[in-house]
Amino acid sequence: MMSYELELENAALSGLAAPHAGPRFVAKAPAPSETPRPANGATIRTEGLSKSYGERAVLHDVNLQIAPGEFVAIVGRSGCGKSTLLRLIAGLERADAGAIHFDGGARAAHSDEIRLMFQDARLLPWKRVLDNVALGLDPKAGNVRERARDALAQVGLADRADDWPAVLSGGQRQRVALARALVHAPRLLLLDEPLGALDALTRIEMQRLIESLWQRHRFTALLVTHDVGEAVALADRVLLIESQQVALDQRIELARPRSHAQVGFARHEQRILDRVLSQSDADAAPREPGATHNVLATPALRWAI
Amino acid sequence: MSATSASRSERWRSRLLPALLPALLPILILASWELASRFGWLSNRVLPEPWAVVKAFWVLALSGEMWQHVATSTWRALSGFALGGSLALALGLLTGSLRSAETLLDSTLQMLRNIPPLALIPLVILWFGIDESAKLFLVSLGVFFPIYINTFHGIRSVDKGLIEMARSYGLAGWPLYRHVILPGALPAILVGVRFSLGFMWVILIVAETISAQAGIGYMTMNAREFLQTDVVLVGILLYALLGKLADLLSKGLERWWLRWHPGYQSAAKAA
Repeated sequence: MMSYELELENAALSGLAAPHAGPRFVAKAPAPSETPRPANGATIRTEGLSKSYGERAVLHDVNLQIAPGEFVAIVGRSGCGKSTLLRLIAGLERADAGAIHFDGGARAAHSDEIRLMFQDARLLPWKRVLDNVALGLDPKAGNVRERARDALAQVGLADRADDWPAVLSGGQRQRVALARALVHAPRLLLLDEPLGALDALTRIEMQRLIESLWQRHRFTALLVTHDVGEAVALADRVLLIESQQVALDQRIELARPRSHAQVGFARHEQRILDRVLSQSDADAAPREPGATHNVLATPALRWAI
Repeated sequence: MSATSASRSERWRSRLLPALLPALLPILILASWELASRFGWLSNRVLPEPWAVVKAFWVLALSGEMWQHVATSTWRALSGFALGGSLALALGLLTGSLRSAETLLDSTLQMLRNIPPLALIPLVILWFGIDESAKLFLVSLGVFFPIYINTFHGIRSVDKGLIEMARSYGLAGWPLYRHVILPGALPAILVGVRFSLGFMWVILIVAETISAQAGIGYMTMNAREFLQTDVVLVGILLYALLGKLADLLSKGLERWWLRWHPGYQSAAKAA
């Protein structure tokens, strides 16, 4: 199973050499020294994944390996293909080339263990909250409503079970969407910028909620986000998609629960942010800790949103 | 919560006044009409006074004749609505859901749509004669197109994001239709139903003048022969009342089926 080993561009990560895009990058599986988690999550392996829209190539020869129970964040500029990668894994789109393997097996067998959260909650407005959470549950499997209520309780909305979605706030709707995904006990949870439309405070609460539910259920989580801070706060690994490739695989080994004031948090975040914005490290002079990086000095300003 | 005059005037302003205000204009019209007839400005043959209409209404209601005519007309209207409406719903669902069906059927139906049903009356008489089937055909035709077009549009404009989400949750085929597509198209379908209910009465009125043995149109035509203008007005009044009833029915349907919709929720709260 572990047949994909290519070297890691560690030099780029240490900040000593100028980071550059280009070399084919294969994300490594986690080191064996990590504390083992109970294997509840799905394993994902992609090989040679490519996708183009017309003439525009979005992903080319992407090779990934994600261990069970890992929380992986995917960051990158807008249009870099991170959402496309997620949708390919979710099965919403078909790849032009390459394959995706779950748990070493074929794809289709696992489609009911994969759940997706979108940027908007996408609740059915004509069903009450409880019925929305119960969407897709097999009634023959029994006690559908109890399971839905239980999932709602986990996200803290048990008292809103009989409301229409139209009366909920944006954060509450996303929580219902999260409950809807969790009620199926997925082994892989895919999150496509789910917190992008929320205000800052709700976003922080939702991050904590997602983290606690992930720690409780131990599914594999794949989070696409434009917010590098969110990626560092939640993920074990942060992948950067750039130039149709995985250009960075940064392991975040900070203790949970994480906070922005934690030692090492800012360093990780700044490093990844620099990489995303392609700040050249030609000026290799050591900076004072806490000095803000002069983002505006870069001559090539590209949009990251 | 004391029963002071302040709270009484509150109730008056919040509940009774909005209920009475829409009736203000008709009452004024009726009053001026009555006065004009009393003072002889309005000849009896042109327009009888409202009181005469009420008396004629009462006589007809007591004799049971009116109810028979109302029943016949209502039956014609409802059966035409059922026939045309269900056909339109089925075809709308078909062309809305399947591109192949749209390609085959839609342009033909759009061409037919522009033919006013009432212009077909001579043809209808040739095809169906002057019995019930002619009236049924005309009403069905009039009812068909609003429901068809709105159903088609409703199905097409269901939020694609919701369909994608539902597919990712394993819904497909009939469950997808039942839980996502049909409820999503329902607001548009109900608009079509509202329109059709309005057309239903209009077409029926004319269809009943073709030739009939019973029905409100027959009663009105008969009265015209005998210069009973008050009975003619009773017939018109009945059509108006039945139309209003149909509208109330469709509003009630909307209120019940669309109670999840934010637009209808605020209306319900204000009511």
